[in-house]
Amino acid sequence: MTAWARALFTTHIICNKPGPIHSLHITLRRFPLTLRSKPVSRLSLPFPPSNHKNTRLSPVPATSNNPKLAAIMPTVSVKWQKELYPAVEIDTTQPPYVFKGQLYDLTGVPPERQKIMMKGGILKDDSDWSKLGLKEGQKLMMVGTADEIVKAPEKGTVFMEDLPEEEQVIAVGHSAGLFNLGNTCYMNSTMQCLHSVPELKSALIEYPQSGRSNELDQTSHLLTVATRDLFNELDKNVKPVTPMQFWMVLRKKYPQFGQLHNGSFMQQDAEECWTQILYTLSQALRSPSISVNLDTVKELFGIDFTSRVHCAESGEESMETETIYSLKCHISHEVNHLHEGLKHGLKSELEKASPALGRSAVYLKDSRINGLPKYLTIQFVRFFWKRESNQKAKILRKVDYPLELDIFDLCSDDLRKKLETPRQMLRDEDGRKAGLKLKQKSTSSVDSDVKMSDAAEPSNGSGESSKATLGEGIASDKNVQLTGVYDLVAVLTHKGRSADSGHYVSWVKQENGKWIQFDDDNPILQREEDITKLSGGGDWHMAYICMYKARTFPV
Amino acid sequence: MDPEPNNNTASGSGNPKDESALKAPSKDPKKKDDKKDEDLSEEDLALKQQLELYVERAQDADQGLQKVALESMRQEIRTSTSSMTSVPKPLKFLRPHYGTLKSYYETMPDSDLKKLLADILSVLALTMSAEGDRESLKYRLLGSEGDIGSWGHEYVRNLAGEIAQEYSKRVNEESTVDDLIELVEQIVAFHMKHNAEPEAVDLLMEVEFLDLLVKHVDKANYKRTCLYLTSSARYLPGPDDMSVLDIAYTIYKQFEEYPSALQIALYLDNMQHVKQVFTSCPDLLRKKQFCYILARQGLSFELDEEMCADDEDREALQEIINNTKLSEGYLTLARDIEVMEPKSPEDIYKAHLLDGRTSAGASVDSARQNLSATFVNAFVNAGFGQDKLMTVASEASGGGSSNWLFKNKDHGKASAAASLGMIDLWDVDTGLAQLDKYFHSNDNHVIAGALLGVGIVNCGIKNDCDPALALLADYLDKEDSSIRIGAITGLGFAYAGTQNEQIRDKLTPILGDPKAPLDVIAFTAIALGLVYVGSCNEEVAQAIIFALMDRSESDLGEPLTRLLPLGLGLLYLGKQDSVEATAEVSKTFNEKIRKYCDMTLLSCAYAGTGNVLKVQHFLGQCAQHFEKGETFQGPAVLGIAMVAMAEELGLDMAIRSLEHLLQYGEQNIRKAVPLALGLLCISNPKVHVMDTLSRLSHDADTEVAMSAVISLGLIGAGTNNARIAGMLRNLSSYYYKEASLLFCVRIAQGFVHMGKGLLTLAPYHSERFLLSPTALAGLVVLLHACLDMKTIILGKYHYVLYFVVLAMQPRMLLTVDENLKPLSVPVRVGQAVDVVGQAGRPKTITGFQTHSTPVLLAAGDRAELATEKYIPLSPILEGFVILKENPDYREEA
Repeated sequence: MTAWARALFTTHIICNKPGPIHSLHITLRRFPLTLRSKPVSRLSLPFPPSNHKNTRLSPVPATSNNPKLAAIMPTVSVKWQKELYPAVEIDTTQPPYVFKGQLYDLTGVPPERQKIMMKGGILKDDSDWSKLGLKEGQKLMMVGTADEIVKAPEKGTVFMEDLPEEEQVIAVGHSAGLFNLGNTCYMNSTMQCLHSVPELKSALIEYPQSGRSNELDQTSHLLTVATRDLFNELDKNVKPVTPMQFWMVLRKKYPQFGQLHNGSFMQQDAEECWTQILYTLSQALRSPSISVNLDTVKELFGIDFTSRVHCAESGEESMETETIYSLKCHISHEVNHLHEGLKHGLKSELEKASPALGRSAVYLKDSRINGLPKYLTIQFVRFFWKRESNQKAKILRKVDYPLELDIFDLCSDDLRKKLETPRQMLRDEDGRKAGLKLKQKSTSSVDSDVKMSDAAEPSNGSGESSKATLGEGIASDKNVQLTGVYDLVAVLTHKGRSADSGHYVSWVKQENGKWIQFDDDNPILQREEDITKLSGGGDWHMAYICMYKARTFPV
Repeated sequence: MDPEPNNNTASGSGNPKDESALKAPSKDPKKKDDKKDEDLSEEDLALKQQLELYVERAQDADQGLQKVALESMRQEIRTSTSSMTSVPKPLKFLRPHYGTLKSYYETMPDSDLKKLLADILSVLALTMSAEGDRESLKYRLLGSEGDIGSWGHEYVRNLAGEIAQEYSKRVNEESTVDDLIELVEQIVAFHMKHNAEPEAVDLLMEVEFLDLLVKHVDKANYKRTCLYLTSSARYLPGPDDMSVLDIAYTIYKQFEEYPSALQIALYLDNMQHVKQVFTSCPDLLRKKQFCYILARQGLSFELDEEMCADDEDREALQEIINNTKLSEGYLTLARDIEVMEPKSPEDIYKAHLLDGRTSAGASVDSARQNLSATFVNAFVNAGFGQDKLMTVASEASGGGSSNWLFKNKDHGKASAAASLGMIDLWDVDTGLAQLDKYFHSNDNHVIAGALLGVGIVNCGIKNDCDPALALLADYLDKEDSSIRIGAITGLGFAYAGTQNEQIRDKLTPILGDPKAPLDVIAFTAIALGLVYVGSCNEEVAQAIIFALMDRSESDLGEPLTRLLPLGLGLLYLGKQDSVEATAEVSKTFNEKIRKYCDMTLLSCAYAGTGNVLKVQHFLGQCAQHFEKGETFQGPAVLGIAMVAMAEELGLDMAIRSLEHLLQYGEQNIRKAVPLALGLLCISNPKVHVMDTLSRLSHDADTEVAMSAVISLGLIGAGTNNARIAGMLRNLSSYYYKEASLLFCVRIAQGFVHMGKGLLTLAPYHSERFLLSPTALAGLVVLLHACLDMKTIILGKYHYVLYFVVLAMQPRMLLTVDENLKPLSVPVRVGQAVDVVGQAGRPKTITGFQTHSTPVLLAAGDRAELATEKYIPLSPILEGFVILKENPDYREEA
């Protein structure tokens, strides 16, 4: 039905709409039905002309006042949705679609979408009125709407179930687990922790498959390639990955990991694995051809130390510098907290030959951090060699560690000065962001001792200008500054009584902020507050290596 | 033998003067000296001696003396039997003389005196006669047949017991029982007059002569009598239970307690009785109430002119039966409780309460999770006509609904389109308008869903124009099998229980169609089973049987084939013995399906009967151990629940038996046990069942865990039970990685919050008296589908979840005035108390609170009006209840 045809009927529609006016029915009855239905048949295009002709030829009287003829024009009530059209006349001499045209006037539902039901069945376009046994006042029901027909959206929805695996990873929100190949949980958990360092991944991607520099031995090269491939695999899969290739290369490079005991591989120390892999990677990723940076691993993990070695006896004093890849947290009876352990580690005594005295003497070594890495690795020295039992024993003591670590007071004076401005800015930023509320919260947080040491020294470097930009170790991102504040991103835990037994598991914070416990091939979601509960003191998993990520402040 | 009688006889003989002494026994001083028993008080001793004297005199040759002695003895016994705390004194003292009197009785010539003595002996036998001798009865029959009550209550009770024994003995010997019946009549009259209706009913049941009861009930005791009759019927074996209920029906009708009569008629599934109720009640308003009762039962019932002469009135009544106002009433309730605001699946999941343990933020749509959201959305917003996924369409440009629709994959779209039907549940006009546009879609799944949706919208609603049939019929022969299934199942929903012949004519040919795929045939069988539920229709049964026989060997192994026997079983739902012929035929089936069919038929036929023998039979089947591959034990376990759900006692026993099956059963039994528990406690979260299911929901076997999770949803369905909601929330985080289990958890969450807590799935209603066969059928289909979760619900037939729609009913009390407009009155709602057989007018509810209607009723709740201003037209305040103004009501100043 075209728009202009619709417009022609407006008058009908208005008077036919059921409303409160009671007289309306009378009007309807008085108006000859033919007058209303005729134009419909004449004007509406869907109806074939032949029928149209028939209707015109049929002897329909001009008025329905004739009682005899009124009998063949029953009045019915039509129900459509919630509305009831109480008096609709049907001209039984005309085909049902004429009636549909009438209903189109009333409801605006195109005839082809109308379904008219009555007791005994549905009204079809070719139905014969006489056979339907229509009764005066019968109730009809019309179903149909003028609503737009539902169409599928142009762009179909993509379902997770249909995605290739690598894309599912994004949806799942964490990477895959690693199958245990027989006591390789130390390796699995180490790799999961290292895998969480995106910078390391990107550095590895740039590592050439074949372009082995001459300084690098074949096995180191292979191990680097294997690491790259393994990381790649982990990113691509949702289902657990079998690190067979990596495992073989690792054993080749470091045969100690291939030790057998009773015909199966022995459990190894994860820290050793960690150190060795990092060492190899640092060798491999050092070659200048790869990138402008000299040493990616050092940049990411290296901690510069300056130590003052002092001999009380002779008064000798010397300065040493060195780069290490992890801070040790020595656990003694006084150590209850990571920070205390780290402080203990800075002071050590050593005996060495004193050139002044001509004999060996006790020297005091007092170390300070002079350069901070992007990722701070901290090892809890939980294992020691027990002579009596001839095995690595484990210290079960509970040592708390914070989710947010500030190592400002372990830094050398030089470094402190450099950190001062970014730290101030960070504090300002925090204050701005969270208002007073966050400040209250942070002072009451676990690492209050750190905060106190913080607060004691702010005046120290206040005069320092912003020209103190980058520390030695900070190079990759030129536009960020380290602040000495670190956030926990990965924990490698050990469960069991000795280093060569038990179970290693890693707990890694994902990019979306969720913590995943990688128990070999099984990644399990964990809550953040459960992460700090890995501090030892029982038989539960306890932190062995913690990895913190630097909180930086953009310039 | 006592030596004294001889002395007494000697001294007492020939002394007529003693007569005067007899009348004042306590004054006799001479006897006191003879006291031997120190324990007796003086008074007792006097009585004892007096009685001994009577015994002696009773054997006197002088008839006059005898008579006096016997009458005095009777007097003595009668005056004292009123106390029931211990054996009455006179009886106690007469005990030693029982033998004497008995032997004397034998020697007596027939006379009134002999009868008198027989009476006394009869009473004495109460304490004296050995177990099983029934001497009390014997002498009673020989006695004077006087007023039975004069001997006291205990005597009558004892006599009743002996009659019962004697009766069964005589029936065995095929001798006459007329004399007994005479006695029974006396006893019954006595009981009925003395508030001992249960005893009267018991006796009549023993002698199989309940018809007698009708004569003796009166206005004061008919209610208690009928209450006892109806509740005892549950524990009677067939066909006694039917005759008992028949009597109750007759009595109710006699006292014009029509609603109760109607309920019994419905329980008996006796349309003749239903008709009688309508024809014998003259009041139009009460008839309207009957219509509400019929509508709740989900019965299709045509009124004729005999039942209601006036056309207009009949139309109004028919409209109530057709349930057209259900949606309106439900929404009135919802508005009153203020839960009209639509809820999204997230509001149900409440993921924010699970810190960190939920699945990581899904940036990509998961088809399975979206499907579960579709179902949860449908169940939660069921009947409200608005939601946040499907109906938001019209406002948002481009149509949000189509967006959500197409966020479902393939067959998921069918469930999504059908969910519109669920959202507009019972509101046919709106629902059909909403679904209309989907008919013209070019996606077959969408059309299938729309067809199914039409069925869901029309579920339990009847309409003269038969829109569902008119709309769906055209699609029955379409090429695409999903469209066909949609149309077939839609018809099943819309015409469940109607026995509509048009449907049969349209559907039976499909069963015989050799080209029809298995799934189409399976759903056709179910649809026919629903339409002809409990009808025992031969033709339909034939069609399904042939369809089953035509299946190939490989088809028989398919899980979907198991729906065929179920469709067959539904035809005989609750019809007990009527199934036997069909069960016999099923023995000829291929052995792959034979046992399964047998179990299914039996469980359906005896569903809701509480038949203990059948429960034992099923337990026996479950006790067998098979290597593997046997599936029939699943329906056997469900059968236990279906049969035992009839009454509370059997239900508790069944729960305990199921616990045993859990411990000793094999996997295929274990996975059915949670489902059986779910059926037993549907929408009735019993704490111990909840705990069992919670335990099983962590079961190492995935299928057991899945059934347990779904059942947690079923027992809490429509209750918003906070404890189950919490359990399910924790399960959702526990199973966040296992897509199938998570899906089940979501569905269960949808169940628990069904209709935002306004609905119930319980097939029992009207104070747990009536069982709606369509509701039970819907549940049984769902549970059978859950027996093979992987292929059906987790496969592409997830829309079987919509079968719960058959059982969905608002758990409300909505009081309406004489014009059927909602009327708010105060009601007390509390825990129902069992008052069967209790004396007086005990309180029927406990721990009640007063609300104003409309009000929600929990499982086991009962309501009573808290005002005298109105009189309810139905004794059971559930669903729609018409209130009439109380003409005697006086406003308190």
